Amino acid sequence: MKKIYLAAGKTDIFRAIITAAVTVCLMAALFGCGKGGTEQAEVKDGYVYVPEYKEFAVKARYINEMIAAGDEAYVVAMVQDGEGEDEQYKTALYQYDLLENTARELPGVDLNDNMNVNSLLMSGDGNLVMVVNQYDFEEDENGEVVDSSMTMEIKRISPKDGSVINSQDMVNVIENAENSYVRNMCEDGQGNIYLSDGEKGIYVVDKDFKKLCEISVDGWINSMAASKEGDVYVTSYGETGVELKKVDLAAKKLGEPIEGIESGQGNVGYYASISKSLMQSSSNKLMLVDLETNTGEELFDWLDVDIDGNNVDIVGELSDGRIWTVSREYSETGDKYELVFISRKKASEVPQKEEITYGALWVDSLTRRAIINFNKANEKYHISVKEYGNDYDGSERAQFNADLTTQNCPDLIGLSGLDFAQYASMGVLEDMYPYMEKSGMHKEDYLENVLRAYEQDGKLCGIASQFYVTSTFAKTALVGEQNGWTLSEMLDFVEKNNPENVFMYGSRDSIFRYCIYNNIDEFIDWETGKCSFDSEEFIRTLEFAAKYPEEADYNREDEGIASKLRSDKVLLLESTVSSVQEFQMMNGLIGEKATYVGYPNSERKGNLIQPSGGSVGISANSKHKEGAWEFVRSVISEEYQDNLVEDNYGWGFPIRKESLEKQFEKDMTPEYYEDEEGNQVEMSKTTWGYDDFEMEIMAATQEEIDAVRALLTSAERLNGNVDAQLSNIITEEAEPFFKGQKSAKDAAGVIQNRIQIYVNENR
Amino acid sequence: MHFPKSRKKEGVLHGMEKKRKAAALSEGKGRKINGNPKKRRGRLISTGYLLPSAIGVLLFFVLPFLIVVYYSVIDNPISNQFVFFDNFVMVFKNAAFIQAAKNTFTFSISAVPLAVVLSLFLAMMLESKIPYKSQFRTFFLSPMMVPIASVVLIWQVLFHFNGMLNEVRSIFDLEKIDWLNSSYAQVVIIILFLWKNLGYNMILFMAALSSIPKDILEVAVLESATPFQIFIHIKLRYISSTILFVTIMSLINSFKVFREIYLLKGDYPYDTMYMLQHFMNNTFSRLDYQKMSAAAIMMAIVMVIIIGILFLTENYFGKDVEG
Repeated sequence: MKKIYLAAGKTDIFRAIITAAVTVCLMAALFGCGKGGTEQAEVKDGYVYVPEYKEFAVKARYINEMIAAGDEAYVVAMVQDGEGEDEQYKTALYQYDLLENTARELPGVDLNDNMNVNSLLMSGDGNLVMVVNQYDFEEDENGEVVDSSMTMEIKRISPKDGSVINSQDMVNVIENAENSYVRNMCEDGQGNIYLSDGEKGIYVVDKDFKKLCEISVDGWINSMAASKEGDVYVTSYGETGVELKKVDLAAKKLGEPIEGIESGQGNVGYYASISKSLMQSSSNKLMLVDLETNTGEELFDWLDVDIDGNNVDIVGELSDGRIWTVSREYSETGDKYELVFISRKKASEVPQKEEITYGALWVDSLTRRAIINFNKANEKYHISVKEYGNDYDGSERAQFNADLTTQNCPDLIGLSGLDFAQYASMGVLEDMYPYMEKSGMHKEDYLENVLRAYEQDGKLCGIASQFYVTSTFAKTALVGEQNGWTLSEMLDFVEKNNPENVFMYGSRDSIFRYCIYNNIDEFIDWETGKCSFDSEEFIRTLEFAAKYPEEADYNREDEGIASKLRSDKVLLLESTVSSVQEFQMMNGLIGEKATYVGYPNSERKGNLIQPSGGSVGISANSKHKEGAWEFVRSVISEEYQDNLVEDNYGWGFPIRKESLEKQFEKDMTPEYYEDEEGNQVEMSKTTWGYDDFEMEIMAATQEEIDAVRALLTSAERLNGNVDAQLSNIITEEAEPFFKGQKSAKDAAGVIQNRIQIYVNENR
Repeated sequence: MHFPKSRKKEGVLHGMEKKRKAAALSEGKGRKINGNPKKRRGRLISTGYLLPSAIGVLLFFVLPFLIVVYYSVIDNPISNQFVFFDNFVMVFKNAAFIQAAKNTFTFSISAVPLAVVLSLFLAMMLESKIPYKSQFRTFFLSPMMVPIASVVLIWQVLFHFNGMLNEVRSIFDLEKIDWLNSSYAQVVIIILFLWKNLGYNMILFMAALSSIPKDILEVAVLESATPFQIFIHIKLRYISSTILFVTIMSLINSFKVFREIYLLKGDYPYDTMYMLQHFMNNTFSRLDYQKMSAAAIMMAIVMVIIIGILFLTENYFGKDVEG
């Protein structure tokens, strides 16, 4: 018997071990224990792609055209010519030695101010082919243009000295060439040249520029590229996204879309390749495309090599196997170009950084830029981006939520599109105040109202590097000096003044959004869980909205907005204030003193804070909180905040007080020009417009700056979109009232009933 | 045959057990389990066959349930602080949960008995000699073949504020009723539920009724039993297990009526249509796992009690007809 018991005991232990092992494995799988912590970029077969940044040798303000030719490139760029008082700009053609990173201007290429190089290619015979548009005009004695004409010419020039080998007027190739613009040009294996103006068709000429044929196309041609095999392909938008089609010269038509190659997302472009048929660059990644097998091989994600795929101008391959690209970054003072070489290296040879994940439904360009700059500058941490998407059925959001609860959670959470209050109250977001203190940053140095807007129970759960205010303004003469109003006050105001419309393009939806959706807390008491959608005030709002058209009429051309506002036909204008200049323009628009009264709110706090370029929080579940904070610190640092003023990238105001004052100082600084008599005359800083109204903006006055400061500091609430569930219920149940099938009271009763469930559930 | 150990044990066995043991021994069944390699191999093989299913059950039923239990006793899935029964107390006090539980209970208590009784009635009707039996059967089964989205569309056409039913009412100068946004809403859902489920239940009952031994029914007729007596004392007894099955299936289906309500009115319908499944789905999508898990466990406990009672009832009424 003892033996039997012993055996049974062993079986139990065995079962217990198996059960425990299976459970542990499953738990591990579910909670994602497999996440590495020290990878840099994605490692494939033990190799990673490593970027090397070089200053672009051509000091270009703008690059018109750039083509790859082996280890060289040819660039048509607008560059500065002369300095100081002699400063002017010219267009020139450069031969760029990529291996040496040097450029030399091709002599003998005549590109005057009235010329525009539309397309450029390196021909198989070693010469350059370019299409040039020339604008000629005659002026009278007053400088008025009395006669003008446009010509288009195709030229073959020598890359050694720029001398023209042969040329042809494009009138012989493209009908109405004087009004056309060649966007794409390629050469096939036989030396035939394919030209496309994007929409009308593809024109094919031989090496002597003699027209061979014209291929008509349906729809817009996005890009054109010649494959390694010598065939020409075009891309266009089709049913499955961006479609790649071969140009069939013999049949004089485009082939069927090539299947099997992922079409990519965003800006998709195809470039010549040495190793495979073509290279495909999209917003996200770079791929090699093999058109013999119709397969694509992903090389890397652009963000993994710290490049924004949307800014890629050209991609090429060098003979040593490296990939090169030119990345363009928008700047107010002219685009900034950077040459990047990307090498494939053994992962073991590359210094490893601690990997931080930035997860968001979508990542805006400002955040992308901040992440790329952080990755370039930081030697300890590297941020990789996980963009979940924001699909209609919510499955990607569900995946995002699921990740937040497991060890797969992103370290940094982009708050765009999320209900900040919900996630903060769930404990998803880490308090950043202790990190600020530890880093020697004081919250007093930042706009307290902006920080308070991101607080939850006294904890700083999120932050935006820059922001603007959304508000509504009206004539002070009508609305008074008040910085906010309740819904009743707003309704009384409109009814008293009886305008043509509340807003320029007012509709029921815009009235609801203004009165209800941005003021939803007036009807929901989250403390007691009581809703008041059956209140007199809500019923009054329904009846008020019913007076306005169901849909806004944007085609009305009877009168401009400035005129309507000034004549009180329209009372309110919803607007953002993202700069002092915008504020100045709004005041100019109304023609007299304006009051930013904001959205109706029971506490009369109607001005809303809107993060510019998204806001970010640190995941409470993150294992790399210090690294995540490093990034947050970088975007609220003095250097970054001051740079926002200098660079003017994006829009909005810095959240750091000193930087904001620098911004104001810049806005108040007048700009001058010297008149014919040598006097300094103040000139406009910029021009702003709204609808049909346009205004020259001069340096701001102290009074205007004070008003903007007061407006910025008066905003205390985040401009969070109301939950779609609530707006859907209101829209759905208000419809029978608007159609006259139900009374406002009955409709309000149903809305109250359904929203009460929502409120009860969420308490 | 000589079995010394077995014989030694025989001394402590009593009564029937003793006899059974003796009979088993005489048939050679009393060998030591551990000592028989054939048996051991058999157990190993059967374990091997069972293992995939066991892993499946573990993976898809036991483990998720354990995770739900875990979520129900923590404050939230981020900080994972143990809060004991706080979530249960919170959910129990939640007005939306109470409303959902009340609605689900009211719906189940009305719809399930109706689904059982009416389908049994239909089955008996189709068992009797009536004309167009086949056509009636097809008619009652057809809702099963209609996709749920189409069903909802039909229901919307019928019960919308401007729907067919209100059009008919307006002919008789009756005021329009907002069927889906009023206290009538649950009645609409009960009708929809019955329309969708009666056919399937009816088929099950027809199969059960046809399996009642004919000789017993004939004997009952010969013994001058009335049709009512035959129904109560014979038919009902023989189909008791089917009644239990149909009741359990209807109960489960009554919880699934969320699908139809969701398609009709979305996540937040009129309060009389708001079911427990709404509560759980909505809390899940808002990352409120702890609330959802506590509600799910409470619902599971109630379900276990109800099904346990049903089993006991069936056991009591059906024991004399189930060998």
